[in-house]
Amino acid sequence: MTNLLTSYEAGGPGHDEMLQSTGAAKAAWAQLADLVDLHSWSQMSARRGEVVRLLEDHGVQYGGASEDGQPWNLDPLPVLLDEAEWARIEAGIAQRSELLDEVLTDLYGPRRLLTTGVLPPEIVLGHPGFLRAADGVTLPGAHQLFLTAADIARNADGSWQVIADRTQAPAGMGYAMEDRRVLAQVLSGLYRKARIQRLGPFFHSMRLALREVAPPRAGDVPRIAVLTPGPYSETAFDQAYLSAMLGFPLVEGQDLVVDGGRLWMRSMDRMEPVDVLVRRVDAEYCDPLDLRGDSQLGVPGLLHAARQGGVSVVNTLGSGVLENAALLTFLPRISRELRGQELLLSSAVTYWCGERAMCSHVIANLERLVIKPTFRSRGQRSVLGWTLTAAERADLAARISAAPHAWVGQEPIEASTAPTVADGALEARATVLRTFAVARPDGYQVMSGALARSATDGRATLVSGTSSAVAKDVWVLSSEPYAIADPWVQEGPPPAQVVASISPRVAEDMYWFGRYAERAEATVRLLRAVGDRWDDFHAQRGATGGRALAVLMDALARIAAPGPLAQVLLDPSVPGSVAYAVNRMETAAASVRDQLSADTWLALSSIDRTLQAERERTGDDDDGAAEASAGGLRGPVLARLLESLLALQGLGSESMVRDVGWYLMDIGIRLERAQHLVDTLAATLTQRRSAAVDSLVLESVLIASESVITYRRRYQTRANVPTMLDLLLVDGRNPRSVRFQLDRLRQDLAEVPAGGSGVAARDRLLADVEDLLDELDTAVVADTDEHGRRRRLADLLDSIGWRLRELDAELTRIHFVHPTPSQWLDAGSWGAA
Amino acid sequence: MSRTDASEARHFHLVHRTTYTYPDVVTSSYGRALLLPRTSSGQVCHWSEIRTDPVAAEIAEHRDFYGNRSSYFAINESHTVLEVVAESLLTVARKAAQVERIPATPWESVAHATRSLRSTGDQTQPDHAAAVVAVTDGALASALVEPDDDIRAYASPSFPPGRLVGHAIRDLTTRIFHDFTYRSGSTTVRTPLGEVLERREGVCQDFAHLLVACVRSMGLAARYVSGYIETQPPPGVPKLRGVDASHAWASVWVPHGGWVQTDPTNDQFVDNRYVVLGWGRDYRDVSPLRGIVFTEAEDSSLSVAVDLLPITRDELEELRQR
Repeated sequence: MTNLLTSYEAGGPGHDEMLQSTGAAKAAWAQLADLVDLHSWSQMSARRGEVVRLLEDHGVQYGGASEDGQPWNLDPLPVLLDEAEWARIEAGIAQRSELLDEVLTDLYGPRRLLTTGVLPPEIVLGHPGFLRAADGVTLPGAHQLFLTAADIARNADGSWQVIADRTQAPAGMGYAMEDRRVLAQVLSGLYRKARIQRLGPFFHSMRLALREVAPPRAGDVPRIAVLTPGPYSETAFDQAYLSAMLGFPLVEGQDLVVDGGRLWMRSMDRMEPVDVLVRRVDAEYCDPLDLRGDSQLGVPGLLHAARQGGVSVVNTLGSGVLENAALLTFLPRISRELRGQELLLSSAVTYWCGERAMCSHVIANLERLVIKPTFRSRGQRSVLGWTLTAAERADLAARISAAPHAWVGQEPIEASTAPTVADGALEARATVLRTFAVARPDGYQVMSGALARSATDGRATLVSGTSSAVAKDVWVLSSEPYAIADPWVQEGPPPAQVVASISPRVAEDMYWFGRYAERAEATVRLLRAVGDRWDDFHAQRGATGGRALAVLMDALARIAAPGPLAQVLLDPSVPGSVAYAVNRMETAAASVRDQLSADTWLALSSIDRTLQAERERTGDDDDGAAEASAGGLRGPVLARLLESLLALQGLGSESMVRDVGWYLMDIGIRLERAQHLVDTLAATLTQRRSAAVDSLVLESVLIASESVITYRRRYQTRANVPTMLDLLLVDGRNPRSVRFQLDRLRQDLAEVPAGGSGVAARDRLLADVEDLLDELDTAVVADTDEHGRRRRLADLLDSIGWRLRELDAELTRIHFVHPTPSQWLDAGSWGAA
Repeated sequence: MSRTDASEARHFHLVHRTTYTYPDVVTSSYGRALLLPRTSSGQVCHWSEIRTDPVAAEIAEHRDFYGNRSSYFAINESHTVLEVVAESLLTVARKAAQVERIPATPWESVAHATRSLRSTGDQTQPDHAAAVVAVTDGALASALVEPDDDIRAYASPSFPPGRLVGHAIRDLTTRIFHDFTYRSGSTTVRTPLGEVLERREGVCQDFAHLLVACVRSMGLAARYVSGYIETQPPPGVPKLRGVDASHAWASVWVPHGGWVQTDPTNDQFVDNRYVVLGWGRDYRDVSPLRGIVFTEAEDSSLSVAVDLLPITRDELEELRQR
């Protein structure tokens, strides 16, 4: 067996973070090699498996809740850097942040950089990130640039360089924290021994910084929220994780409203002020009134509220102008002019095509430069000149000549490599670090660590971008134990409590999370009951057992979905299947990640794994599926699913604070359970069959309703329909009865704030169903007519069923309204009509 | 040309009324208006206000990037009809540019000065600190005015080598006036310039955009101006198009000559019959009224009524006292 480390050390030239490490980092790499056993592939492979599992358990995604969504890809080996080395980077980043802040302040203020010839005006005025509508809007405090990120890489000569600045709405802090959490577990031995600078203090600092940037009127405890484009955003996980970690609500544009020059969060019964808005939506989309009119992600009037000083939006609307790659060319000059300083951290050599000589140089050297539009957008990405054909280069040259000021050429950086776990080997992969810094009154605080990304294909030169990279954690190693600078626990008066409230959108997602979780569970139970009969009787079509099975299969088709059992379990494209309910439940959960216990994802990933393994077992192709459909379901699979679903229930009852969100989730559960039971009874009990067939059918219904043990204990040897109805419909002590659900619904609804006329209709529906049960004589409704039909029972169930559905509609109407904005007609009118 | 004395100061009472009607209830509405005239060279705005029905919960005004008067208002009262009225009292004493008095500079020199400003912030240009941003902004492509080869091909005949910039502007203005048919309703604010060029028809907004595009395609700076034109026809003179409605034209930067305002819709330089609301790179920067509404209503209808009434000095004083 080859020694991984030995073959890695024999690798090629260029700077390598492990092989050329110094100081504490060198010692730590050695420890890492030792403790983690970098020599052995089986060790590495096991660690990698552990990372994958933990990330799944935490529900870590990149690409959002869409088809493009994929699990976050994290390498088990961190990049280790020595404290002294990091101190230099830190100083460079802090200096750079100060400088960028001064540039931003000037560009939306006096614009002296443009009028004194320091910065060519067209670089700024021709950049779509420069928002004229945001001119004159300022943040309180010393800095205009709140948060900044930089992608840095180490050159062949060992010095670090900035490839790009990220100032629009920097992503990655949540991933960085999550990466750290995972590696701290996977490499726990080393993590405890090495003196690693913690990320926590940075986030604590960010919390304080957010308070400092609040409008003065907001007082000691400003209200802060994080604005997200929603669960379909590429970095939805990062946003939700960050907001949960900071302890601020995650909101979408539709949750917010501007009134009286201030920003408010729509909550169930009132408006809550928002003093600071951390935006993860690109500025252009933040206000349909003053920015992009067709945006559904923003809040009309937000820019006005910011201008009035009613809300502090960070980063400020317009900060994206600093992402302009042409700035890299001019930063050294600006630094000398504004601050009389040389840059501690240089930028990658960048030629701005708006200058004639540089343009000629770029066009003459297209085949060896990285060509970047000064404005990043979906259609405009960086191009590696050496990957282009002659024709493509000619085309690019023409595009540059048409608008030279909008292009730069950049010298490629042969980024330093770091050992990365690949198939059967450690590979040296080019690695780029994303650093983060946040503005404090006395300067920028830099995160002691970073989010690193490694190329997926060996030594390929990295261009800034996230999609096809492997993430790595970055450990900064101290020689001294670290001290907590700003402890969370503090003496003094008790901190003010922020009243948690939720928006109608969150309310709706919580409700559906509850409903789909319950639907998944009820369907699994039903499948299990039906599956048992199937195993016993599927070969006896005409016999008693076969007839009972037919009744149950028919009921399953009506309640859940028609089709083979395996399909009703596994096919996510079939509404009514378990897989479908699970998908919907996960989408709802992703939208309200900040409301749920982190362990929720443990249960969800386990459900996913079980379904996926079963899908793989039964085969993906049609033949395999057909084969599977000829068989029943495997009991252990259903048991595992049930186990995870019960774990979710346990989290719901034991790990969640009883707030409005919880009550809505419970309303979802109760309504679903009642509806499911009513549907089940309607599909099975409204027709009398032979006593032998009914014995089997009724028993299955009791099993599926989790009430068979109670029933047997109560009624011992004999069973009949009226006593079953007693237990399943009217017995308020049975947590599986309709009565029990109604009681809970009534209690839950009392905890959900609501006003207006709709509530009366909602409560009337509930009262009607209660009346139906109060007046119910189970012996009478169990009567059959000459055809064996239980007409009264059918009518009763129908009356309850439609009222429950109507109740769902009322809930939606009363509690989940989200108004959508639209644009006025264009009022331009020229000339006489 | 008109009998109106071009040098005499003229007074106006301006009322611009916009009414939106919705088939369903609107719960709240946010508006952004550029309907209050700025005081600028040759024009003084004595008094102005915006009012709405239902009454706005908040109205605020600020100077935008271009120095225009931008109004924000929010209505949070349920309604099915929204009326926005902008009213102002003005005195205009603007003299129209004259070709002979525009600095006798070949257009290429203007293009050179423009390029130097936008790419280096050239310190040698007159009033450069004020001009740098405005000129660069006017020279760059913008959302609705992106010059292309077709535009440049159309513009070229007005810019032969060595022609003085004033003559070039005058010639371009006249060509657009003759080559294009004014047809109300022939275009919308979303009609691209290429289509206007191809169909050879449009409204004043299109002609203003076209002129701006042509000027930019030659490397000069131009901006889009939003406002009104007085259209009381003196006897015997054909009635000007664009009667009592929003109007739009263009202005072109000339070193030592400032911004020369020219109206391709009426083939003339802008004089004291024009009221300026504001200017920007194109229509988007100065759209008179836009907004966002929260409603279940699927559609809406709109009517606009503009009255630009010439008044005497005494009438002006009387109205100001009111």
